[in-house]
Amino acid sequence: MRVPVEWLNEYVKLEAPVEEVADLLTMAGLEVEEIDHLTAVEVARLGGVPDAKDDRILMTKVTPNRGDWLSMLGVAREISAVTGWKLKTPKPIAKGTAPATESLIKISITAPDLCPRYAGIVIRNVVIKESPDWLKNRLIRAGMRPINNIVDITNYVMLEYGQPLHAFDYDLLTGKEIIVRRAREGETITTIDEIERKLSADTLVIADSNRAVAVAGVMGGSESEVGPNTKNIMLESANFNAVSIRRTSKLLSLVTESSYRFERGVDPGITDEAAKRAAELMQELADGEISQGIVDVFPGKSEPRVIFVRPERVNWLLGTNLDVKKMTACLEALQFSTKLAGGGIEVTVPTFRPDVEQEVDVIEEIARIYGYENLGVTLPSAAVEGKDSREGLFTQRLRGILMACGMQEVLTHSLIDPQSVQISGLLEESLAIRNPLSEDTSRLRTALAPNLLHVISRNRSVGQKDISIFEIGKVYHWLEVGAPTEHRSLAVAMTGSQWSCAWNLDKDALNADFYLAKGALERIFDCLHVSGVVFEPIQHPMLHPTRAARIVVNGTELGVLGEVSSEVLDKLDIRGRVYVFEIDVDRLMILTPEAVGYKPLPRFPAVYRHLAVVVKQEVPYAEVKRLVVESGGEIIEDVELLDVYTGTQIKEDERNLTLSIIFRSSERTLTDEEVAGVLEAIKASLVKEFGVTFRG
Amino acid sequence: MTEFDRITDLEKEASSRIASAGSTRELDELEVEYLGRKGKVTQLLRAIGELSAEDRPAYGARVNQSKGTIEGLISERRAQVVQEEAKKRFKAETLDVTLPGRFYNVGQPHVLVQTMAEVKRIFTGLGYQFVESPEVERYRYNFEALNYPEEHPAMDEQMSFYVTDEYLLRTQTTAVQARVMEKQKPPLRICTLGKCYRYDAVDATHSHTFHQVDCFAVDEHITMADLKGTLVKFCQEMFGEDIRVRFRPDFFPFVEPGAEIAISISGGRWLELGGAGMIHTNVLRNCGIDPEKYTGFAFGLGIDRMPMIKHGIDNLRLFMEDDLRFLRQF
Repeated sequence: MRVPVEWLNEYVKLEAPVEEVADLLTMAGLEVEEIDHLTAVEVARLGGVPDAKDDRILMTKVTPNRGDWLSMLGVAREISAVTGWKLKTPKPIAKGTAPATESLIKISITAPDLCPRYAGIVIRNVVIKESPDWLKNRLIRAGMRPINNIVDITNYVMLEYGQPLHAFDYDLLTGKEIIVRRAREGETITTIDEIERKLSADTLVIADSNRAVAVAGVMGGSESEVGPNTKNIMLESANFNAVSIRRTSKLLSLVTESSYRFERGVDPGITDEAAKRAAELMQELADGEISQGIVDVFPGKSEPRVIFVRPERVNWLLGTNLDVKKMTACLEALQFSTKLAGGGIEVTVPTFRPDVEQEVDVIEEIARIYGYENLGVTLPSAAVEGKDSREGLFTQRLRGILMACGMQEVLTHSLIDPQSVQISGLLEESLAIRNPLSEDTSRLRTALAPNLLHVISRNRSVGQKDISIFEIGKVYHWLEVGAPTEHRSLAVAMTGSQWSCAWNLDKDALNADFYLAKGALERIFDCLHVSGVVFEPIQHPMLHPTRAARIVVNGTELGVLGEVSSEVLDKLDIRGRVYVFEIDVDRLMILTPEAVGYKPLPRFPAVYRHLAVVVKQEVPYAEVKRLVVESGGEIIEDVELLDVYTGTQIKEDERNLTLSIIFRSSERTLTDEEVAGVLEAIKASLVKEFGVTFRG
Repeated sequence: MTEFDRITDLEKEASSRIASAGSTRELDELEVEYLGRKGKVTQLLRAIGELSAEDRPAYGARVNQSKGTIEGLISERRAQVVQEEAKKRFKAETLDVTLPGRFYNVGQPHVLVQTMAEVKRIFTGLGYQFVESPEVERYRYNFEALNYPEEHPAMDEQMSFYVTDEYLLRTQTTAVQARVMEKQKPPLRICTLGKCYRYDAVDATHSHTFHQVDCFAVDEHITMADLKGTLVKFCQEMFGEDIRVRFRPDFFPFVEPGAEIAISISGGRWLELGGAGMIHTNVLRNCGIDPEKYTGFAFGLGIDRMPMIKHGIDNLRLFMEDDLRFLRQF
């Protein structure tokens, strides 16, 4: 809210510099975001008359619980509470000269649940004209546009008291009657902004005997609007249910100064006083005659709230050692009345503080006035041992392995474009946002890899060629039962070389390829001691049809690995080849053993034999290796691949696999004859099963 | 020419050849040629039979002396040649030490992950347990259990992305509170961190996605002073001792009293870091914890702000754009 300093001084004379007052308010919970000011030129441009008064304006940010701070008096009250400076409030009496109000207007409330109080007063024979300069200038500084004296007065009193008011043209009210009722289904009203609005049965309206004349608490109707020819005014000052006004405001997509205040709670104790204040101003500034007495229908009248506060509870929660006198002084400053009773304090809450509902709310009030800065600074005793979550620790371990593999970590958005979801082919499984900001943030990602491709694309566009990146993050899916689910995923994308500076080295040999990506993936499994990993060729919408694998561990599908298809790369405008893998981190965590079984170091020497196997192209390496291990028996320690050759020295449909077979026994030193015998057995099996030949 | 003169001649010849030998290999050959089993010096001894008996001892001694002399010359020359050869080799192997070293890129954690790791280090050190909590959250945990009244203006600050009527993207990591308190009873020292989402367009200081850490403690006697102490400690660890921490009243439905935390580094302007307060008695009660017996504090801090403050980053978008030139700076 804009709080003009000149105006504020009418209620509480500021005895300190404005900056200091702003700081005091901020520290009491009413944040002053800045101190603005309007120059004479600006005031004139907005229809005011420049004057020599203080032109500074406190720009406050009001928390949603403190509707009372949306008024000059509310701000003045807070300043007075924290400083002790004297508060001066208007004391309107609105002495009537016209006939009794009751004789001029009949008021009834048929929806008392939505309207706890409605007060009306009639001002006759007003002269519609411009407001005086001082009033116009105050409105302008407070951010409102002057219209005419009657409308300006309703706005002025709303800013002053926080009580929204509405002036009807009395002569346009059919039946000289006000009925506060729910709208009829399908009922419409044209509001003063000349928009016809359809109302629902939940909407509270102000009606005359004929039709709705205002959307209660939101906006008046144009048919009964005050105009240049208006003679008589029916002034409304009412209290409406906050939730009802909020619903209506949302339904109509219409937020007004009035609805904004009602949503945040308006003091039901000032309904009549605000009406009197406005009536007096109309008498003074529009030559009006006030009707005698106010028609005040108050079905929601209730006793003020009394809360019992235990002083020891105050000190317990705040960690203070305040005495009861200090506590009551804080509360009295805020116009809460206090009485010592039953070993505690009976606190009567003023009607302008509906947010104070229970003991703890009163404790906050004491803390506010005592000052948060005066509370102690201690540490709670340690209760449990601090530690990261299992998932957090595992993720950290994974991150370490990936960084050692030369990968840079990235973080990408979970809210993405449906087209990006489609890259990995899981659009139907993806979660859609019902109310997205835009199409390109309307889905939750089902995989990380498409995002990494976007990162590569963006980095390529700024000249980065060699990119190896990873992300560990959540992905989201629909479960078949119709509930959303999420799990952690890891994706890696590589293109170009991981070498930053490699002059004179063979550049082509350094570039990422399928096997370099696979190597990084296998390092992860090795470091985590996950064994039994199987790679099976698959078809995947994102990947090259003959360069893609599914990763399976002991029957659990963990993810995919492959070269990104050129179609996908074309769409993202990426040239060159890109290799990716993505695995389910939650599943990997479950597969990771807690402890590593220790293997004693070998006591006997190993024997190495090379074997060059010429085998049909279609026989997978994994099959050859499996057969070597199986037919070699227990003295095979490991089989390593040294080389793969295809070319002119062998048939076109064949390739040569050069293996290094490592033999070792845990019980004895192997003899040459023994190893030779086993090697022959291996060769025989290979010939028998795959029809291989041997070279060299 | 006497037999003795022949020795002298041989010595002279050997001496000059040794002196001109340029490699250890040449010296090895000369050693064989003169001192080997069939070498020239050995052959001189064969001539001993042609000498008179009285000359023989002197001749033998002279040959041995000569052998020693040649040996000495060779080893002396060998030492020189080894040095010369080494010098030559070193010269040939000279490297330009100013050429750049070859290296492959070392990966780094994302700057926000570095911050999160720091946050975790500090809070685990203070005795907090980190837990995981879903991002696609139930309305109930995000709002209802946190004492948000239905149709309240407080909801305006928490504009949410909805997936269904029941599920939304969490607007605050605070959603973890009821999840934990429904299952675990005090004493509690809990933290969680991660992505949160609010209906907010992206610009230099706003985003629909941001990161938060939420921390809460529930015990028999947790006070507001404990809340202040914990936050001051955190801020000092994160930003250094030269920091001021400001607490002022603020409103969040799930705390009462509520506070805003702001920091000022080296006397600079106040920067808001997050919201805090004593866990609202309604929240405790909703989770089956007796607010008469237990009290607690809670706070939520924006993580993205921390590296922005620390490294002077002025644009929030940089974090998720993942420009490698940016990420490699940290």
